[in-house]
Amino acid sequence: MKLLKRIPLWAWPIIALALLVGLFLLPGGNKATFDVSGEFLLHPLIRLPKIGPVDLSITKPVVYLWITVLVVCLFAAFVNRGLKTKPGRLQVAMEGLYELARDGIAGAVMKAGADTWFPYIGGAFFFILVCNLVGLIPLPFGVGHQLAFYAATGNINVTITLAVCTFVFTHYAGVRAKGPFGYIRSWVIPAPPVLKQFIFVSDVISELFRLVSLSVRLFANMIAGHFILAVFFAMVLVFQSYLIGVVLQVGSVAVFLFEIFVAAIQAFIFAILSAVYIGTALEEEH
Amino acid sequence: MDVSAATIAAAATTETGLRLLGAGLAAGLGVIGPGVGMGVLFGSSIESIARQPELRGEIRLNMFIGIGIIEALALYALVVALILLFVVK
Repeated sequence: MKLLKRIPLWAWPIIALALLVGLFLLPGGNKATFDVSGEFLLHPLIRLPKIGPVDLSITKPVVYLWITVLVVCLFAAFVNRGLKTKPGRLQVAMEGLYELARDGIAGAVMKAGADTWFPYIGGAFFFILVCNLVGLIPLPFGVGHQLAFYAATGNINVTITLAVCTFVFTHYAGVRAKGPFGYIRSWVIPAPPVLKQFIFVSDVISELFRLVSLSVRLFANMIAGHFILAVFFAMVLVFQSYLIGVVLQVGSVAVFLFEIFVAAIQAFIFAILSAVYIGTALEEEH
Repeated sequence: MDVSAATIAAAATTETGLRLLGAGLAAGLGVIGPGVGMGVLFGSSIESIARQPELRGEIRLNMFIGIGIIEALALYALVVALILLFVVK
């Protein structure tokens, strides 16, 4: 550090230029082919028998879901054990997240059923948040036990399951609050005759499309993020120069930080849209 | 699918070319609309924060909801492109 302070200001651009030229002139490594689709193939890790059409063998997403459940449960137990009235930083952070889920998501959007449905919405928020973040930690589940990134929510089956949970809870909440015929009648909007049927059909289709949109939003965000990460990491191999490697390294760090941001946003979006759907199913007449 | 140059040269039929072209157009043109939408969203949210700075937190919350929904539309286009690249034979 003392040596760095003794270098005068005018010498820094020369040193930087020398480093850049040197990195540019160094002979690079081997060019490698780049195959992205290897991340999406799911080989079973432990083969279990098939029951009917359902294959029960344990694949990568299953293990990642178990890891998520373990992380959530153990972390919650750990934070709960050390609760104090004068909280430390970890407790303040967790209380902030809890208040965000309870007041910002369930309380702000659902007027009627915020207390009843907060367990599901808070649970979905934390589960998807941890699922997305675990997907950014390299774990040795790659081909041949290499370290690899993989998000459980990067599998369309997982996100469809979560969207189906929201869908089932929406209609269950509506039917429980208003009765089956009252619930369907609440979708009919007073309007002139032909327009009324058309609006009803269009509302039904948009309800069904919510399944698609919830699942594909989460899935595509995770997949696109991992794609971009894989491209950035592998471009270092494709270009034959160390200079571009250094620049790409900085770019990879930036993309990685953006991926963490996207992970949190997508969990928040899923939770708040689920709250909106359940809230509109519960609310009174238009 | 191996997208290195060798395998693309080996499978260079019209159908493969059109498939890749479709994927490129889907991913490219499909992001124009959500891009404009994002611009409008951020512009109006910054303007409303400037008008009433005490509502900063609430506006930021609604802005994030808007970001999530609009980004989903852009990613539908990307999913179509991925289907064309990896699923259609």
